[in-house]
Amino acid sequence: MSTYVYGISRTPAPPLRRGLTGVGDPPRAVRVLERDGLVAVVSDAPDDLRPKRRQLLAHQQVLAAVSAERVVLPMRFGSVSEDDATVGEVLLDRAGHFLERLETLEGKVEYNIKASHNQEAVLHLVMAEQPGLRAESEANRAAGGGTYEQKLALGEKIARAVQAREPADAALLRRALEPLTAEVSEGPQSAGWLANLSVLVDREAADALLSAVEELDTSAPQLDLKVNGPLPPYSFVEKTDASADPTATAAARTAPATG
Amino acid sequence: MTVAPAQQQGGGTGNLYDVLELVLDRGLVIDAFVRVSLVGIEILKIDVRVVVASVDTYLKFAEACNRLDLESGRNKSPGLPDVVGGITESGAEGKTKGALSGAAQAVSKASDAFQKARDEAQEGSTRRRTTTRKKEERE
Repeated sequence: MSTYVYGISRTPAPPLRRGLTGVGDPPRAVRVLERDGLVAVVSDAPDDLRPKRRQLLAHQQVLAAVSAERVVLPMRFGSVSEDDATVGEVLLDRAGHFLERLETLEGKVEYNIKASHNQEAVLHLVMAEQPGLRAESEANRAAGGGTYEQKLALGEKIARAVQAREPADAALLRRALEPLTAEVSEGPQSAGWLANLSVLVDREAADALLSAVEELDTSAPQLDLKVNGPLPPYSFVEKTDASADPTATAAARTAPATG
Repeated sequence: MTVAPAQQQGGGTGNLYDVLELVLDRGLVIDAFVRVSLVGIEILKIDVRVVVASVDTYLKFAEACNRLDLESGRNKSPGLPDVVGGITESGAEGKTKGALSGAAQAVSKASDAFQKARDEAQEGSTRRRTTTRKKEERE
Protein backbone atom coordinates (compact mmCIF):
# COMPACT_ATOMS: atom_id res chain seq x y z
CA MET A 1 0.00 0.00 0.00
CA SER A 2 1.60 3.26 -1.08
CA THR A 3 1.46 6.32 1.14
CA TYR A 4 0.39 9.84 0.25
CA VAL A 5 2.40 12.53 2.05
CA TYR A 6 0.84 15.92 2.87
CA GLY A 7 3.56 17.50 4.89
CA ILE A 8 6.27 17.18 7.48
CA SER A 9 6.07 18.57 10.97
CA ARG A 10 7.73 17.83 14.26
CA THR A 11 6.73 16.27 17.55
CA PRO A 12 4.50 16.53 19.44
CA ALA A 13 2.30 15.33 16.59
CA PRO A 14 -0.42 17.82 15.67
CA PRO A 15 -3.80 16.87 17.14
CA LEU A 16 -5.85 16.01 14.08
CA ARG A 17 -9.58 16.49 14.02
CA ARG A 18 -11.33 13.14 14.35
CA GLY A 19 -12.39 11.90 10.96
CA LEU A 20 -10.05 14.23 9.06
CA THR A 21 -9.76 12.84 5.56
CA GLY A 22 -7.54 13.61 2.62
CA VAL A 23 -7.21 12.62 -1.01
CA GLY A 24 -9.04 9.75 -2.67
CA ASP A 25 -12.59 8.74 -3.48
CA PRO A 26 -13.74 7.83 -0.92
CA PRO A 27 -11.35 10.18 0.96
CA ARG A 28 -8.68 8.31 2.91
CA ALA A 29 -8.19 8.84 6.64
CA VAL A 30 -5.31 11.10 7.59
CA ARG A 31 -2.78 9.80 10.09
CA VAL A 32 0.70 10.65 11.30
CA LEU A 33 4.01 8.77 11.24
CA GLU A 34 6.59 9.68 13.85
CA ARG A 35 10.35 9.23 13.59
CA ASP A 36 12.87 10.81 15.92
CA GLY A 37 11.17 14.11 16.58
CA LEU A 38 9.68 14.42 13.10
CA VAL A 39 6.12 13.79 12.02
CA ALA A 40 4.87 13.00 8.55
CA VAL A 41 1.19 13.71 7.91
CA VAL A 42 0.03 10.97 5.55
CA SER A 43 -2.84 8.86 4.33
CA ASP A 44 -3.09 5.78 2.19
CA ALA A 45 -2.58 6.75 -1.44
CA PRO A 46 -5.46 5.98 -3.77
CA ASP A 47 -4.38 3.98 -6.83
CA ASP A 48 -5.99 6.31 -9.31
CA LEU A 49 -4.99 9.68 -7.89
CA ARG A 50 -5.32 12.46 -10.45
CA PRO A 51 -4.88 16.22 -10.06
CA LYS A 52 -8.59 16.95 -9.89
CA ARG A 53 -10.16 19.83 -8.02
CA ARG A 54 -11.46 17.62 -5.26
CA GLN A 55 -8.04 16.11 -4.67
CA LEU A 56 -6.20 19.44 -4.70
CA LEU A 57 -8.72 20.80 -2.27
CA ALA A 58 -8.28 17.80 0.02
CA HIS A 59 -4.50 18.27 0.00
CA GLN A 60 -4.84 21.95 0.90
CA GLN A 61 -7.46 21.30 3.58
CA VAL A 62 -5.33 18.75 5.39
CA LEU A 63 -2.40 21.16 5.36
CA ALA A 64 -4.57 24.04 6.55
CA ALA A 65 -5.73 21.92 9.47
CA VAL A 66 -2.19 20.87 10.39
CA SER A 67 -0.79 24.34 9.89
CA ALA A 68 -3.35 25.75 12.33
CA GLU A 69 -1.76 23.55 15.02
CA ARG A 70 1.90 23.20 14.15
CA VAL A 71 4.61 24.48 11.89
CA VAL A 72 4.57 22.27 8.81
CA LEU A 73 6.59 21.83 5.62
CA PRO A 74 3.84 21.40 3.01
CA MET A 75 4.59 18.87 0.28
CA ARG A 76 3.81 19.75 -3.29
CA PHE A 77 0.57 18.09 -4.44
CA GLY A 78 0.88 14.47 -5.48
CA SER A 79 3.82 13.18 -3.43
CA VAL A 80 3.44 9.44 -3.06
CA SER A 81 5.81 7.14 -1.21
CA GLU A 82 6.15 3.41 -1.73
CA ASP A 83 5.02 2.69 1.82
CA ASP A 84 5.09 4.02 5.38
CA ALA A 85 8.54 2.57 5.96
CA THR A 86 10.00 4.61 3.11
CA VAL A 87 8.49 7.79 4.55
CA GLY A 88 10.13 6.91 7.87
CA GLU A 89 13.50 6.45 6.19
CA VAL A 90 13.22 9.83 4.48
CA LEU A 91 12.45 11.48 7.82
CA LEU A 92 15.49 9.84 9.41
CA ASP A 93 17.83 10.52 6.48
CA ARG A 94 17.02 14.21 6.23
CA ALA A 95 16.14 14.97 9.83
CA GLY A 96 18.73 17.74 10.13
CA HIS A 97 17.47 19.58 7.10
CA PHE A 98 13.79 19.25 7.99
CA LEU A 99 14.35 20.35 11.58
CA GLU A 100 16.32 23.37 10.43
CA ARG A 101 13.55 24.39 8.04
CA LEU A 102 10.83 23.83 10.65
CA GLU A 103 12.78 25.94 13.13
CA THR A 104 13.08 28.76 10.57
CA LEU A 105 9.38 28.66 9.75
CA GLU A 106 8.09 28.32 13.31
CA GLY A 107 5.40 30.89 14.01
CA LYS A 108 5.35 32.12 10.42
CA VAL A 109 2.72 31.90 7.73
CA GLU A 110 2.58 32.57 4.02
CA TYR A 111 0.36 35.19 2.43
CA ASN A 112 -0.08 35.31 -1.31
CA ILE A 113 -0.80 38.69 -2.86
CA LYS A 114 -1.84 39.08 -6.46
CA ALA A 115 -2.14 42.39 -8.23
CA SER A 116 -3.93 43.18 -11.44
CA HIS A 117 -4.81 46.47 -13.06
CA ASN A 118 -8.10 48.13 -12.35
CA GLN A 119 -9.18 48.97 -15.86
CA GLU A 120 -10.76 52.38 -15.41
CA ALA A 121 -8.06 53.61 -13.11
CA VAL A 122 -5.17 52.40 -15.22
CA LEU A 123 -6.70 53.81 -18.41
CA HIS A 124 -7.01 57.20 -16.76
CA LEU A 125 -3.43 56.96 -15.65
CA VAL A 126 -2.16 55.97 -19.08
CA MET A 127 -4.18 58.72 -20.77
CA ALA A 128 -2.90 61.30 -18.33
CA GLU A 129 0.69 60.23 -18.95
CA GLN A 130 0.48 60.01 -22.72
CA PRO A 131 -1.12 63.06 -24.34
CA GLY A 132 -0.67 61.50 -27.79
CA LEU A 133 -2.79 58.51 -26.89
CA ARG A 134 -5.33 60.73 -25.31
CA ALA A 135 -5.61 62.92 -28.38
CA GLU A 136 -6.01 59.87 -30.57
CA SER A 137 -8.67 58.48 -28.31
CA GLU A 138 -10.56 61.76 -28.29
CA ALA A 139 -10.35 62.01 -32.07
CA ASN A 140 -11.74 58.49 -32.37
CA ARG A 141 -14.50 59.30 -30.01
CA ALA A 142 -15.40 62.47 -31.88
CA ALA A 143 -15.61 60.36 -35.03
CA GLY A 144 -18.15 58.11 -33.36
CA GLY A 145 -15.66 55.50 -32.25
CA GLY A 146 -13.49 55.41 -35.36
CA THR A 147 -13.11 52.70 -37.97
CA TYR A 148 -12.24 49.13 -37.16
CA GLU A 149 -8.61 49.78 -38.09
CA GLN A 150 -8.44 52.92 -35.99
CA LYS A 151 -9.90 51.12 -33.02
CA LEU A 152 -7.48 48.29 -33.45
CA ALA A 153 -4.48 50.61 -33.71
CA LEU A 154 -5.55 52.65 -30.71
CA GLY A 155 -6.39 49.58 -28.66
CA GLU A 156 -3.03 48.03 -29.39
CA LYS A 157 -1.20 51.17 -28.28
CA ILE A 158 -3.25 51.34 -25.11
CA ALA A 159 -2.70 47.67 -24.38
CA ARG A 160 1.04 48.19 -24.76
CA ALA A 161 1.01 51.28 -22.58
CA VAL A 162 -0.89 49.42 -19.88
CA GLN A 163 1.48 46.49 -20.11
CA ALA A 164 4.46 48.81 -19.92
CA ARG A 165 3.19 49.98 -16.56
CA GLU A 166 3.19 46.50 -15.11
CA PRO A 167 6.80 46.32 -13.90
CA ALA A 168 6.53 49.68 -12.14
CA ASP A 169 3.29 48.72 -10.45
CA ALA A 170 4.70 45.33 -9.48
CA ALA A 171 7.68 47.08 -7.91
CA LEU A 172 5.31 49.37 -6.05
CA LEU A 173 3.66 46.36 -4.42
CA ARG A 174 6.95 44.74 -3.57
CA ARG A 175 8.30 47.89 -1.96
CA ALA A 176 5.18 48.21 0.17
CA LEU A 177 5.37 44.66 1.47
CA GLU A 178 9.06 43.94 1.77
CA PRO A 179 9.71 45.83 5.01
CA LEU A 180 7.03 43.80 6.79
CA THR A 181 8.06 40.35 5.72
CA ALA A 182 10.73 37.82 6.58
CA GLU A 183 11.01 36.58 3.01
CA VAL A 184 9.45 37.32 -0.35
CA SER A 185 9.00 34.79 -3.12
CA GLU A 186 7.76 35.40 -6.65
CA GLY A 187 4.76 33.22 -7.26
CA PRO A 188 4.45 31.18 -10.43
CA GLN A 189 3.93 33.54 -13.37
CA SER A 190 0.72 32.11 -14.59
CA ALA A 191 -2.58 33.76 -14.39
CA GLY A 192 -2.10 37.16 -15.96
CA TRP A 193 -1.39 39.00 -12.77
CA LEU A 194 1.03 41.87 -13.02
CA ALA A 195 2.44 40.70 -9.73
CA ASN A 196 2.10 37.47 -7.82
CA LEU A 197 4.03 37.59 -4.58
CA SER A 198 4.16 35.22 -1.69
CA VAL A 199 5.46 36.62 1.56
CA LEU A 200 6.48 34.95 4.78
CA VAL A 201 5.37 36.80 7.91
CA ASP A 202 5.16 36.18 11.62
CA ARG A 203 1.62 35.21 12.55
CA GLU A 204 1.54 38.27 14.78
CA ALA A 205 2.63 40.57 11.95
CA ALA A 206 -0.20 39.47 9.67
CA ASP A 207 -2.39 42.40 10.65
CA ALA A 208 0.33 44.88 9.80
CA LEU A 209 0.72 43.20 6.42
CA LEU A 210 -2.99 43.40 5.72
CA SER A 211 -3.03 47.07 6.69
CA ALA A 212 -0.15 47.78 4.34
CA VAL A 213 -1.97 46.09 1.49
CA GLU A 214 -5.11 48.04 2.24
CA GLU A 215 -3.16 51.28 2.32
CA LEU A 216 -1.62 50.54 -1.05
CA ASP A 217 -5.02 49.61 -2.41
CA THR A 218 -6.15 53.14 -1.55
CA SER A 219 -3.03 55.04 -2.58
CA ALA A 220 -2.64 53.20 -5.89
CA PRO A 221 -6.15 52.90 -7.32
CA GLN A 222 -4.80 51.39 -10.54
CA LEU A 223 -4.06 48.22 -8.57
CA ASP A 224 -6.59 45.57 -7.73
CA LEU A 225 -5.10 43.53 -4.93
CA LYS A 226 -6.11 40.10 -3.80
CA VAL A 227 -4.77 38.61 -0.61
CA ASN A 228 -4.87 34.95 0.30
CA GLY A 229 -3.80 33.61 3.63
CA PRO A 230 -2.68 32.62 6.11
CA LEU A 231 -1.36 29.62 4.20
CA PRO A 232 1.09 26.87 5.02
CA PRO A 233 4.49 28.11 3.83
CA TYR A 234 4.39 26.46 0.39
CA SER A 235 6.81 28.96 -1.12
CA PHE A 236 9.36 28.84 1.68
CA VAL A 237 10.07 25.19 2.28
CA GLU A 238 13.48 25.50 0.68
CA LYS A 239 16.17 27.97 1.57
CA THR A 240 16.33 31.02 -0.64
CA ASP A 241 19.62 31.88 -2.29
CA ALA A 242 20.09 34.85 -0.01
CA SER A 243 20.06 32.87 3.20
CA ALA A 244 21.44 29.61 1.86
CA ASP A 245 24.59 28.15 3.26
CA PRO A 246 25.95 26.21 0.27
CA THR A 247 27.67 23.47 2.28
CA ALA A 248 24.63 22.82 4.46
CA THR A 249 22.22 22.68 1.54
CA ALA A 250 24.48 20.39 -0.43
CA ALA A 251 24.48 17.90 2.44
CA ALA A 252 20.77 17.99 3.06
CA ARG A 253 19.45 18.69 -0.40
CA THR A 254 16.00 17.38 -1.12
CA ALA A 255 16.17 18.12 -4.84
CA PRO A 256 16.77 15.32 -7.36
CA ALA A 257 20.18 13.64 -7.69
CA THR A 258 20.60 12.39 -4.15
CA GLY A 259 18.92 9.16 -5.25
CA MET B 1 -8.62 44.73 -1.81
CA THR B 2 -10.01 41.25 -1.44
CA VAL B 3 -8.92 39.21 1.52
CA ALA B 4 -9.75 35.54 1.31
CA PRO B 5 -11.07 34.05 4.51
CA ALA B 6 -8.50 32.55 6.80
CA GLN B 7 -7.84 28.91 6.14
CA GLN B 8 -7.23 27.87 9.65
CA GLN B 9 -9.97 25.47 10.52
CA GLY B 10 -9.64 23.03 7.67
CA GLY B 11 -13.18 23.76 6.56
CA GLY B 12 -12.88 27.20 4.99
CA THR B 13 -10.63 27.22 1.97
CA GLY B 14 -10.81 30.71 0.55
CA ASN B 15 -10.50 30.73 -3.17
CA LEU B 16 -8.88 27.46 -4.10
CA TYR B 17 -7.82 28.74 -7.47
CA ASP B 18 -5.56 31.30 -5.90
CA VAL B 19 -3.91 28.66 -3.79
CA LEU B 20 -3.93 26.02 -6.47
CA GLU B 21 -0.80 27.23 -8.20
CA LEU B 22 1.05 27.08 -4.90
CA VAL B 23 -0.20 23.56 -4.20
CA LEU B 24 0.95 22.52 -7.67
CA ASP B 25 4.06 24.62 -8.16
CA ARG B 26 5.49 25.17 -4.71
CA GLY B 27 5.85 22.98 -1.68
CA LEU B 28 8.43 20.43 -0.79
CA VAL B 29 9.55 17.91 -3.40
CA ILE B 30 11.41 14.87 -2.19
CA ASP B 31 13.09 12.70 -4.78
CA ALA B 32 12.43 9.50 -2.81
CA PHE B 33 8.71 10.04 -3.41
CA VAL B 34 6.98 9.58 -6.72
CA ARG B 35 4.84 12.44 -7.96
CA VAL B 36 1.43 12.04 -9.50
CA SER B 37 1.33 13.01 -13.16
CA LEU B 38 -0.01 16.52 -13.65
CA VAL B 39 -1.00 16.10 -17.28
CA GLY B 40 -3.79 18.53 -18.12
CA ILE B 41 -2.95 20.97 -15.38
CA GLU B 42 -0.40 23.03 -17.31
CA ILE B 43 -3.14 24.28 -19.61
CA LEU B 44 -4.48 26.38 -16.78
CA LYS B 45 -1.25 28.28 -16.61
CA ILE B 46 -0.84 29.56 -20.17
CA ASP B 47 -4.35 30.66 -21.06
CA VAL B 48 -4.25 34.28 -20.08
CA ARG B 49 -0.94 35.40 -21.52
CA VAL B 50 -2.17 34.29 -24.91
CA VAL B 51 -5.38 36.25 -24.65
CA VAL B 52 -3.71 39.47 -23.55
CA ALA B 53 -2.14 40.21 -26.94
CA SER B 54 -5.17 39.49 -29.10
CA VAL B 55 -7.18 41.59 -31.52
CA ASP B 56 -10.12 41.11 -29.22
CA THR B 57 -8.28 42.70 -26.35
CA TYR B 58 -7.22 45.67 -28.48
CA LEU B 59 -10.78 46.32 -29.58
CA LYS B 60 -12.04 46.08 -26.05
CA PHE B 61 -9.41 48.54 -24.87
CA ALA B 62 -10.34 50.98 -27.61
CA GLU B 63 -14.01 50.71 -26.75
CA ALA B 64 -13.32 51.05 -23.05
CA CYS B 65 -11.44 54.26 -23.84
CA ASN B 66 -14.24 55.60 -25.95
CA ARG B 67 -16.55 55.23 -23.00
CA LEU B 68 -14.06 56.57 -20.51
CA ASP B 69 -14.97 59.94 -19.10
CA LEU B 70 -11.75 61.71 -19.98
CA GLU B 71 -13.07 65.16 -19.19
CA SER B 72 -13.45 64.45 -15.54
CA GLY B 73 -9.95 63.05 -15.56
CA ARG B 74 -8.32 66.09 -17.18
CA ASN B 75 -7.88 68.22 -14.13
CA LYS B 76 -7.76 65.55 -11.54
CA SER B 77 -5.32 62.91 -10.59
CA PRO B 78 -6.36 59.79 -12.43
CA GLY B 79 -8.46 57.11 -10.92
CA LEU B 80 -9.97 59.07 -8.07
CA PRO B 81 -12.97 57.27 -6.62
CA ASP B 82 -15.41 59.95 -7.81
CA VAL B 83 -14.12 59.55 -11.35
CA VAL B 84 -14.84 55.87 -11.24
CA GLY B 85 -18.15 56.65 -9.61
CA GLY B 86 -19.04 58.96 -12.50
CA ILE B 87 -18.41 56.23 -14.99
CA THR B 88 -20.54 53.85 -13.02
CA GLU B 89 -23.40 56.31 -12.93
CA SER B 90 -23.22 56.87 -16.64
CA GLY B 91 -24.29 53.27 -16.97
CA ALA B 92 -21.28 52.11 -18.93
CA GLU B 93 -19.91 50.08 -16.09
CA GLY B 94 -20.55 46.67 -17.53
CA LYS B 95 -19.06 47.61 -20.87
CA THR B 96 -15.95 49.38 -19.70
CA LYS B 97 -15.02 46.39 -17.61
CA GLY B 98 -14.47 44.48 -20.84
CA ALA B 99 -10.83 44.21 -21.70
CA LEU B 100 -9.13 43.23 -18.51
CA SER B 101 -11.82 40.95 -17.24
CA GLY B 102 -12.00 39.43 -20.71
CA ALA B 103 -8.37 38.55 -20.46
CA ALA B 104 -8.99 36.91 -17.16
CA GLN B 105 -11.97 34.98 -18.39
CA ALA B 106 -10.25 31.65 -18.65
CA VAL B 107 -9.10 32.03 -15.12
CA SER B 108 -12.49 33.01 -13.79
CA LYS B 109 -13.93 29.91 -15.32
CA ALA B 110 -11.44 27.84 -13.45
CA SER B 111 -12.19 29.87 -10.39
CA ASP B 112 -15.89 29.09 -10.72
CA ALA B 113 -15.08 25.45 -11.05
CA PHE B 114 -13.08 25.46 -7.88
CA GLN B 115 -15.76 27.39 -6.10
CA LYS B 116 -18.06 24.57 -7.07
CA ALA B 117 -15.61 22.06 -5.74
CA ARG B 118 -15.57 23.88 -2.47
CA ASP B 119 -19.33 23.99 -2.28
CA GLU B 120 -19.47 20.30 -2.97
CA ALA B 121 -16.91 19.59 -0.34
CA GLN B 122 -18.96 21.53 2.14
CA GLU B 123 -22.09 19.65 1.23
CA GLY B 124 -20.26 16.48 2.01
CA SER B 125 -19.47 13.77 -0.46
CA THR B 126 -22.69 11.84 0.01
CA ARG B 127 -24.67 13.70 -2.63
CA ARG B 128 -22.99 13.98 -5.96
CA ARG B 129 -24.52 15.19 -9.15
CA THR B 130 -23.83 13.43 -12.39
CA THR B 131 -23.39 16.66 -14.30
CA THR B 132 -20.68 17.80 -11.95
CA ARG B 133 -18.93 14.50 -12.29
CA LYS B 134 -18.94 14.77 -16.05
CA LYS B 135 -17.58 18.27 -15.84
CA GLU B 136 -14.86 17.04 -13.57
CA GLU B 137 -13.85 14.42 -16.08
CA ARG B 138 -13.42 17.05 -18.77
CA GLU B 139 -11.18 19.19 -16.62
